[in-house]
Order: sequence, then C-alpha cells, then structure tokens
Amino acid sequence: MDILEAAFSKIWPKKGGFWGPYLMLSPAILLVGLLVLGLAYIGDTSLRTLDTSTFLFSEEWSLANYERALTEPFIRSVIWRSILGATIVTMTTLLLAFPYTYIMVRTRSAFLRKFLLIALFLPFFIGQVVRAYGWLIILGKQGIVNDILGLIGIEPLRMLFNYPSVLFGLVQYMFPFAVLMLAPALTAIPEEIEAAAESLGASWQETMLYVILPMAKSGLIGAGLVVLTLSLTDFAMPAILGGGTQDFVANAIYDQFFRTSDQGFGSSLAVLLIAIGSLLVWIIFMLVGAGTLALGAKDK
Amino acid sequence: MTFDKQIKRRDLLKTSAMLGIAGAAGSVAPSLLKAEPAKPTEIIVRAWGGPWVEALKAGVSDPFTTKTGIKVRHDLTEDNEIQPKVWAAVAQKRTPPIHINWDTTTNATKSALRGVCEDLSDLPNLKGTTDLAKPVGVDGYPIVNTYGYVYVLAYRPSAFPSGPPASYHDLLDPKFKGRLAFYNDGIGFHFPAQVAGGGKLDGIPNNMQPCWDFVSKIKTQEPLLGEDPDFVTWFQNGEIDAACTISTNALGAKRNGVDIAWTIPKEGAKFDTDGLWIPKGHSEGDLYWSREYINHALSKESQQIWLDGLGLPGVIPGLRPPPGLAGDPSYPTKPADFDRLIRISGKIQVENESEWFSKFKAIMQG
Repeated sequence: MDILEAAFSKIWPKKGGFWGPYLMLSPAILLVGLLVLGLAYIGDTSLRTLDTSTFLFSEEWSLANYERALTEPFIRSVIWRSILGATIVTMTTLLLAFPYTYIMVRTRSAFLRKFLLIALFLPFFIGQVVRAYGWLIILGKQGIVNDILGLIGIEPLRMLFNYPSVLFGLVQYMFPFAVLMLAPALTAIPEEIEAAAESLGASWQETMLYVILPMAKSGLIGAGLVVLTLSLTDFAMPAILGGGTQDFVANAIYDQFFRTSDQGFGSSLAVLLIAIGSLLVWIIFMLVGAGTLALGAKDK
Repeated sequence: MTFDKQIKRRDLLKTSAMLGIAGAAGSVAPSLLKAEPAKPTEIIVRAWGGPWVEALKAGVSDPFTTKTGIKVRHDLTEDNEIQPKVWAAVAQKRTPPIHINWDTTTNATKSALRGVCEDLSDLPNLKGTTDLAKPVGVDGYPIVNTYGYVYVLAYRPSAFPSGPPASYHDLLDPKFKGRLAFYNDGIGFHFPAQVAGGGKLDGIPNNMQPCWDFVSKIKTQEPLLGEDPDFVTWFQNGEIDAACTISTNALGAKRNGVDIAWTIPKEGAKFDTDGLWIPKGHSEGDLYWSREYINHALSKESQQIWLDGLGLPGVIPGLRPPPGLAGDPSYPTKPADFDRLIRISGKIQVENESEWFSKFKAIMQG
C-alpha cells in the first residue's frame, strides 16, 4: 500500500485530493461493475424464449423460462441434488478438515507439520479435472482399488458413476480450501487457553467441545461458506465422476448453452443458481454470522 | 437545326463512346469475374480432434494447401462451443472466428435456420454428389453434407456367444446390468427406442411415449452414459458389453485392438450426416477461398482419403470402401442398405431435441 501511495503521489501530487480514495477503489469498482454487467446480460437473456424455428430469441420479456425451470421434474431433481450434495460435502469436509488443521497447527513436530502442508498443497496445485481423472484410474473397474480387492477374491465393484462418487470427489477437492480457511482461526487460539481449561478440570473432549470449537466458529463458518458455494456450482466432478447420471445445476446450464443452444433457458438456470446460493449464504449469515469472511467486522 | 445536329452529333459521340467502353468491358468482364481474389494467408477450419482431424488434414486440408498455397489451420474447439461465438460474431457484424465449420448437420441446421450460413448451392462439385449431400429440412445448401454415419449397436463378441444381438430387447437380459452404455443425452437411441417400445417412426415427434417406455426399461439395466471418447475407453477397460454409438468409435476401438463388433438391430439405427458450412461476415476473398475449400472437399480424391480415415460413406458415387467395410451395415452405399436406417429431418430434430434430451435425462437420472 505504501509503495502504491508513493507511486500514486508521483503521478498525482497531493495524494489526488478529493478523488484519491475513489481512484484507489477503481479496480474493485471495475471488477464488480463487469460482474454486474454480466449478470444484467444474463438476467436479460433469461427473460427471452428461444424460437426453435429460427433459433432467435424473443423480443419481448416473459417468465416462461423460469416457469419451465421450476416445473420441469428433471430440473427440479437437478436443483435438489445440487443443494443436498453441497450440504453433505460441506459437512463432511468440515468434519475432516477440522482435526487435520488442528493437528497441523498444534503439532510440535516440524516434520509432521511440513508433511501435512505438503500433503495439502500437492493436490492443490493439480487441476480439478486431472484429479477427477485420477479417481477414474484409482476407482475404475480395472483400477488400483479393484486390483487390490481382486487379490483377496472380491469381484470388481462399480465405485464410480454414482452420487457417492461425485460427493467423494468434491470432498477431496474442497478439503484444502477448508483447511486453508480454518488454519488462521485455529492458529489464533492460544495454546494457553487449552491448558487453562484442562487445569480447571476439563477433559480433552470438553476442552474441544466447549472451548476450541466455539473459538474456531468464525473459521468454520468461513470455510463452510466457501465449500458450500464452490460445491453448489461445481461442474467437473458431477460431469466426470457422475458418468452422465448425476448432473448438478452447472451441468444443466452447460447443456442448455452448448447442447441445445437455448441460452435463454440456460440463463434462467444460472440466475436460479445464483439466487439459491445467495439465499443459502444469507440464511447462514443471519443464523451464525459471516465468520472469517466478515474480515474483522462485527458479526450480525 | 444546327443546334439539333450538334446535339445529335454529341449524342452519337457519347453513344459510340459508351458502346465502345461497354464492348471493351464485355470482352474483359468474363476474365475479371473469373479472376481469383487475393489469397488469405490462412483459412481456419473447425474440426474434431484425434483421428478426425488427421483424416481431414490428409484428405482435404493438405491437398488444398498444395493446390492453392493457402495454409489451413484447424481449430479444435468443440462444435457446440464454437456455435455461440460464431452466432455472436455474425450478430455483431464482426469477422467470425472460423472460416469453415465442420459440424454435425443437426447442429449446423440451427445455424442455417438462424440465417448465419453462406449459400453454397452453386459449388461446382455439388453436381457430382448424391442426394446425401443435401441437408434435409432446410432450403438450398446452407450446409453441404459430406458423409453419413450410423449409430450402430456395438458389442463385445465374447459377451454374445450365440451371435450378435438381434434386437435392443436382447440388452434387457439381467447379465448386462451395468454393462451397457448410451450417449448421456440419448442421441442415437431415441428413434430405435421408439420402435423397440412398440411405436412407429411417424409418431416422431408427436407421440414419443413408446420411446420413453423403452428407455425406462433400459434404465433398470443401470447403463453408463457418456460421450464419444468414453465408449472407446469403456470397451478397452472391459467395463461394458454393448453400446449405442457412432460406428467410427467402434471402428476406432477395433483398430486399437479391442475385441468389438457392431450390428444394426431389427429396430433399425439412426443415420445422420456431418457437413461443412461457412459463417457469414467474411471478406469477399476469404469467402471465395473458403468455398474453394469446401468444393475441394467434395472432389472424389479428397473424399476417398478423408473418409478412408473415418470409415464412413461419402457423397460422391464410386468411392472405394475402406478395407473390411464393404457390405458392412455401418457403410451404406446402395438404396437397400438404407432400409433399416432411420433418417429424421434435421429441422424436426433441432425443434425437439431439447425436450428429448431432458426427457431422456429425467428418466436416466430419476
């Protein structure tokens, strides 16, 4: 920031006067402005229906696409599957990420800490699609897991192309995000507090339940929000690990945009997805606050 | 009088001059019209990757470059992903990102209905093509079909020891549970399923219930659903015993050493075409050479090499079938070969496919 201000004062002496702060905000305004512009375009398209005799969109606005989205059984099942999946993935990821993060920040072994960090970051650098294909190799009919099962006489199992395999892939993908969001929150809890609780007679479980978890609440909420929204909008895992049988809303949007060329209907699904995601986040904000995403502002 | 004479003299001079210019222009005009516009440094052809683009390169693009000196760049963006970019470019009067789209006829029909395709009806080589080159359901030639293909029933011979499956009903045997595969939107399967479900083809698109009834039966077999590359992988990995897929995929798997064969069951098989088209918005020169490229693709020599690579029947009479495909049900050439093939107008398909895809997915993901 100092460097930025110094550079700015060279270009515009007196710190830019009245417009200085606004100028500093301009990148953010530009970014949000572009986002709003894109959303406005999607909103406009969502209100136009496709004429399949000319493949042109209607001049007039109507709610036909939304009506179709909310009444078509397939779309309703896709929306429900996405919400349920995102919820399960969020819960599971937090359950797994919390002990991992706790051990990572509390361990006195530098080797273990480094190992956990490397184990966390290594898959983080590999793209989602590559990771999904990796699971195809590991869990496929002729994959490593079935090879091992074959050694003890178990017939090859189908572990892919179902709902659990999509959720499994999502949990594995979201895990590093959750740990990275939780780590600052757990690091900020002084070890002395745990020692104090134990010296006052609390068992390890009681310390965890009544001291650490409440103090880590902001981190858990922040991590949960990130994992929830990313899972809800995911495309690759349902597409690759679902084997075409476990579409999420993003897959349905893709189909409408690129398979049937109905960008109007696809846009209406995109708006619905944004609305559902925003509603879920708003409910969480109202119930438990924004956690670390509040960036130091008072919750609620 | 003198004045009149002067006028007349002037008129005469003017008329003579104009006639002279017109005469000179008339003698020059044909050569001017025939003159080739300036050549672009390259033309961009959208294509499918892997063996598809290799076949196009060997049969059409490389010979075209040799003949004209124009480089051909292949853009491997998926056909359905390039479509909105092309449509947006034409709508905004920008130069489209590609010169030629190698596209499924169904997908291209949407572009034709939208009015973004250049007219190709006066290509010289069209005169030597079969009826297959003409797209069904649109006026003229906004698209030129270049070959046909069949959605065959591909199967692993070892899984059918008593012979190839005669009907899609054979796939309902419990031993095939979890060992069948279809496209994830059901493409290629809707029409035979209509027959297998007890319906008639003239029930398409208004009465497709028999199709959905049969799809529901197939759903109980828990089939895998995927795209072209998935079928080859699944056959290679021994994950499936049968699949409704484009014959090219089955042929590709066979050429890679997979134990695979294919048949057309008694319900029939969907027959469709791919084609080439030019989006509107190119300069006169680029348009001229793009048309030349498509015209070149319709020559017998190009078709022979291109389609040998794909193992598909072309639109020029007298092409030599690739080794092993003469008389094959996936390589129809004679009218009798088409008896069990189902060809539905592209217009009907594009007007209804959204509903068909949704219905198929609703059943399969229900």
